[in-house]
Amino acid sequence: MATITAPTSQKAAPPGILTHPATRKLLALAALAAVLVPLAVTQWGGATWPSALTVDVSEPLGKASDWIIDNRDSHPLFLYFFGHVSNVVVIAVRAVYLALLAVGWAGVSAIGALVAWRVAGVRLALGTAAAFLACGLLGMWVPTMQTLALMVVAVLASVVVGALLGLAAGLSDRMDRVLRPVLDTMQVLPAFAYLLPVVLVFGIGVPAAVLATVVYAAPPMARLTSLGLRGADKEVLEAVESLGTTARQRLLTARIPLARKELLLGVNQTIMMALSMAVIASVIGAGGLGDRVYQALASVDVGAALAAGIPIVLLAVVLDRVTGAAGERLGESGRSPVTWLYALVVAAAVALAGRLAGFLDWPDGWEVDIAEPVNRAVDWMTAHLYSGVPVVGGTADWAGHFTSWVLNPLRDGLQWLPWWSVLLIVAALAWLIGTWRTALTAVLAMAAIGVLGVWDPSLDTLSQVLAAVAVTLVVGFATGIAAARSDRFERLLRPVLDVFQTMPQFVYLIPVVALFGVGRAPAVAAAVVYALPAVVRITAQGLRQVDPAALESARSLGATSGQQLRQVQLPLARPALLLAVNQGVVLVLAVVIIGGLVGGGALGYQVVFGLAQGDLATGLVAGAAIVCLGLMLDRVTQPTERRAKKGA
Amino acid sequence: MSRKRITVAAAVLVLATGCGAADMTKQASPFANAQGAKTVTLSVQSWVGAQANVAVAQYLLEHELGYRVDTVQVDEVPAWDALSQGRVDAILEDWGHPEQEQRYVQDKKTIAAGGDLGVTGHIGWFVPTYFAKKHPDVTNWKNLNKYADLLRTAESGGKGQLLDGSPSYVTNDKALVKNLDLDYQVVFAGSEAAQITQMQQFAKEKKPFLSYWYTPQWLMEKVPMTEVKLPPYEEGCDADPAKVDCAYPVTPLQKYLNADFAKDGGKAAEFLRKFKWTTEDQNQVSLMIAEQKMRPEEAAKKWVDSHESVWKAWLS
Amino acid sequence: MSTTPKNTTTAAATDTVSERPPVFSVDGLWKVFGPKAARVPADPDLTALSPAELRSRTGCTAAVADVSFDVRKGEVFVVMGLSGSGKSTLVRCLTRLIEPTAGSIAIDGEDVRAMDKSRLRELRRHRAAMVFQHFGLLPHRTVLDNVAYGLEVQGLGRAERRERAAAIVAKVGLEGLEQRRPGQLSGGQRQRVGLARALAVDPEVLLFDEPFSALDPLIRRDMQEEVVRLHREEGRTMVFITHDLQEALKLGDRIALMRDGRVVQLGTPEEIVGSPADDYVREFVRDVPREQVLTVRTAMRPATSADEAGTGPAIRPEATVSEAIEAVARAGSAARVMDEGRCLGVVDASDLLSVVAGTADAPAAADGAAAAAAAGSRAAGAARVGDGGPPARAKPSVGEAPAQRRKPTTPAEPTTEEPA
Repeated sequence: MATITAPTSQKAAPPGILTHPATRKLLALAALAAVLVPLAVTQWGGATWPSALTVDVSEPLGKASDWIIDNRDSHPLFLYFFGHVSNVVVIAVRAVYLALLAVGWAGVSAIGALVAWRVAGVRLALGTAAAFLACGLLGMWVPTMQTLALMVVAVLASVVVGALLGLAAGLSDRMDRVLRPVLDTMQVLPAFAYLLPVVLVFGIGVPAAVLATVVYAAPPMARLTSLGLRGADKEVLEAVESLGTTARQRLLTARIPLARKELLLGVNQTIMMALSMAVIASVIGAGGLGDRVYQALASVDVGAALAAGIPIVLLAVVLDRVTGAAGERLGESGRSPVTWLYALVVAAAVALAGRLAGFLDWPDGWEVDIAEPVNRAVDWMTAHLYSGVPVVGGTADWAGHFTSWVLNPLRDGLQWLPWWSVLLIVAALAWLIGTWRTALTAVLAMAAIGVLGVWDPSLDTLSQVLAAVAVTLVVGFATGIAAARSDRFERLLRPVLDVFQTMPQFVYLIPVVALFGVGRAPAVAAAVVYALPAVVRITAQGLRQVDPAALESARSLGATSGQQLRQVQLPLARPALLLAVNQGVVLVLAVVIIGGLVGGGALGYQVVFGLAQGDLATGLVAGAAIVCLGLMLDRVTQPTERRAKKGA
Repeated sequence: MSRKRITVAAAVLVLATGCGAADMTKQASPFANAQGAKTVTLSVQSWVGAQANVAVAQYLLEHELGYRVDTVQVDEVPAWDALSQGRVDAILEDWGHPEQEQRYVQDKKTIAAGGDLGVTGHIGWFVPTYFAKKHPDVTNWKNLNKYADLLRTAESGGKGQLLDGSPSYVTNDKALVKNLDLDYQVVFAGSEAAQITQMQQFAKEKKPFLSYWYTPQWLMEKVPMTEVKLPPYEEGCDADPAKVDCAYPVTPLQKYLNADFAKDGGKAAEFLRKFKWTTEDQNQVSLMIAEQKMRPEEAAKKWVDSHESVWKAWLS
Repeated sequence: MSTTPKNTTTAAATDTVSERPPVFSVDGLWKVFGPKAARVPADPDLTALSPAELRSRTGCTAAVADVSFDVRKGEVFVVMGLSGSGKSTLVRCLTRLIEPTAGSIAIDGEDVRAMDKSRLRELRRHRAAMVFQHFGLLPHRTVLDNVAYGLEVQGLGRAERRERAAAIVAKVGLEGLEQRRPGQLSGGQRQRVGLARALAVDPEVLLFDEPFSALDPLIRRDMQEEVVRLHREEGRTMVFITHDLQEALKLGDRIALMRDGRVVQLGTPEEIVGSPADDYVREFVRDVPREQVLTVRTAMRPATSADEAGTGPAIRPEATVSEAIEAVARAGSAARVMDEGRCLGVVDASDLLSVVAGTADAPAAADGAAAAAAAGSRAAGAARVGDGGPPARAKPSVGEAPAQRRKPTTPAEPTTEEPA
């Protein structure tokens, strides 16, 4: 026996290593590289992307932009198609806006509260009313109504478009194959990237803002609709089919009702996306609250920006909770239409009473000025933290150190790497974590950046993203673990996270500059602030959802709480942690353009420049590069499970 | 008002019939003319001077002429497009965009010139006065390289930092640094807000800095700055953006109106054409907004209350 | 004797059932999953392969392989097998919820596979309704609307369908729950809704796909009783899929036992238990309480003397062995098996015991199987048609008594849900 086992075990060992999938992938990649790299190096050496491989798109883009501006009022395409689209948007927004103004502040608050009451209960109804009144108190009633009007139209359009796309993808496998990668990709793209093409066609203004919002907010609706249709209980569908339904009957009586949960979740997500876009779209003339935030920025007035930002946060939180509660309440026994009627009558009465009493415009005397105290607080903070703090040094020193010790070496290192080796690293990472398809997508995305001729700024941006992600993950995991272990801490944290997640990024740009100066450090700080809530949430949730039985068994073996965390919770929460990494990367990238506003430079600045100067060639190329970076980063960090789950 | 009414009515008609052309360059903002009030939409650029113009114009339009005023913040170049489309009725402060002027005013005739604002703008490189006093020779560009070390920051790496602002501003700084052979790195703050915040922080610490800046600007009152002399401006020396090696010109700031608004805008258009004040006036209002953090309408009210003689002329 | 009333109706109805035309007639049915599935049934080399070989050779799986049977009007036809044996696929092929690969299916002589879409809808709407393992109810509708769903699909007006649905709801014992939603019901109640929904369209055939396997045992027995009751009252043809042998024996007039997509044995419960076709079936039925399934017809032997043929208690040939044991024990002597006054044979204590012990199996099967097959099934089926006859339980205690006194048998491990 011994003589037989010895040789087999020897034989088994090398294949054991060789057949390990990671090794196999790396070996294959190495083989490929061994052939291609010498070729590439002899042909196009050097560290940066070879200019022979770039395509200059700025001229055709510039020409296209000129052509559009010159023909916008004469070409049939604009007169008969885009013109009508634009018209419909303007008329719809106007109709909603006039309706809101006609109902008056008392009416709007009452209707909002009553709807919330019927859909989600008394507590949320009170919250809704309070939120609307707070908008008025802050002196933001009219801008809030403008934003609300825009949102109503944009959300309705997004829901319709998204639902139709989702229906197509949910019912036809071919459409699904075509749409899914597109939708998946659109979801990782920063909102800013959508602005440029829309502005190109529609010019600055509300139509462009609404359409950009629709493009941004429709994908989640489409994805969730398709998911809901596909995820429906197979047996129910079979039962329905066994009763001899036509395809139409199946769709209307079974498939769509069965997907209600996902549909409502889609509406919820769409609303949140649209709200976050409402502010960003102020850059292209959306007006409303976003514009107030943007204007306050110009006079470096954090307080005023906050006063306009708070209504957005309130709207977001209220809409999120109400639609969320509506989703949870699904399936409970039917609410009688009579109470709805009742609620409607009451709302109409309040609106009418408000109208008669002249409560249409928010009374001037009822406004509370929060700008001043906020500004004082910000001033105090920046005055005392900026520099010269004993022992730890000021924030300016931190920013300086961070820039010269982390950002600079990282950027220079990335730019020093030969271009082919960057591609190789991307390929290896993506392949290890996913399939060869992911690797191919990632490499192609990276190569596209080179071809567009923005290799160096892209690597600069990449270095900022990597640094920000690292900081986000360290802080986020630590906070998330703390939140998972202490209920009280989590309760305290929750509203803070809510606010940071919905607060328009513009609002905290100034404090960030005041603390960290101008440059890449504040851009990184802004990105961290933005991405942190999601990472904390996912981490805490992942840790809390760890199978209690596993924890119990660990505890019964006498594990300390530290051991439980290290040996049970963290390993079991691995999928959640990976998701947190992915989300962190995507969110950080979303702020990179915003970072352009505080001296982040690189791609972010180029997009901002393109928007500001109407130089769409620069903006679009940089936007496309950010899209490619996003694709690449998403593929490199996206665990395979996520895609597998989507397929289910 | 009637113009927009008609536009909207026509749009409804067109939609109802389901065909016909829709010219989106003739569409008003959906927020205009709500509740029967005549509305004027003004473009506000991202700097405070522009806000001051708009605040005073808005106050007078609302309180003296009975209009409702909407403001939209748009960057300079896109604002021309918006103005041409009628989504904005007027730009009150333009720093010179020959290309746009050619396209919209001369060729398409969708924008009409609205006359001088009365304020003269100038762009240049500035150092804080406390720094200039200590090192008087820094105000000549030839000596700038001497101070590159002092002006270094983490962001500019081994070189001195030249702080630039919003991407929407006219700037030749990258070319200037290169063509004048300066040991400096242009760092783009990305927005005026960021740039101002940074300069204020530097000033608080009495640290030296070199920045692209312009007058009239309220920050000058707060952080006194001295201009660095660049090679003098000559007509045409900035023709080729890559070869610029001279200072920025002095620009009389201009107003522009949407062509239709200029024709049918009635009293409002007339008023905006006559709107003209001085650099000091503008700075007064700007300071109230930016430094005292007054609301624009309060600042405007304060100024209007004390300068009746100036604005009475605009209304006549 | 408790069995007497049943037997009087049985004899009269027997022949009419066997002469009734088949409702479903399935011949050479194949359902193959995998690439180029159609070539498998057509190629004799491939059809001869075992499932594992077929999979490795072609990548295909034959879920249903060359299955033929008839379901006669009024009978309960049970298809039984372990999971993966193809029984659920088979029942779905009947109404083409799953498209068969080859073979023929006829309903009342009409070729199902040749039906166009509207004809097929017609079939599903009016002629065959199905009850599902996990109920397949629409969670957003009330009980009443779920039951009325099939009628709604047919295009019936709201008032009429609600009225009819309400009647069915009452019939399955769900009065008072009409306005509940499925999420608010217990598993058993939900399946009653599923049953009611199928009944509401008044189908010619009811198809059951493991309807009770998701229920806990006590509820399952209630539901089985419910099906027995319904069948007795309405005489509707049923095709019943199950993996539970007790259930199959209790409900089935005839049972098709499937393994790996093929029918390994088709016969009455008595034939399956009494004379298993192969070792697989034998293993399957090993733990069945035989005395409650086998009839004395299987256990009897010819009378050895006139004395034996003339004395002793008389029992019907359809009586179960356990009933005979009771009679024999009470009389203390051998019993005579009497049919219409004729003595067919006798059973004594040792005959009966050998049935219980399982040792009498081979000789009994040899002579009884062929003859008893048809008669047995007809008899049982007819008993439940009960046209005018007094209500009677055809198989009084099979599956029910054992469920109380013994653990479920191994091959038919039924419980997928913990008792609540």
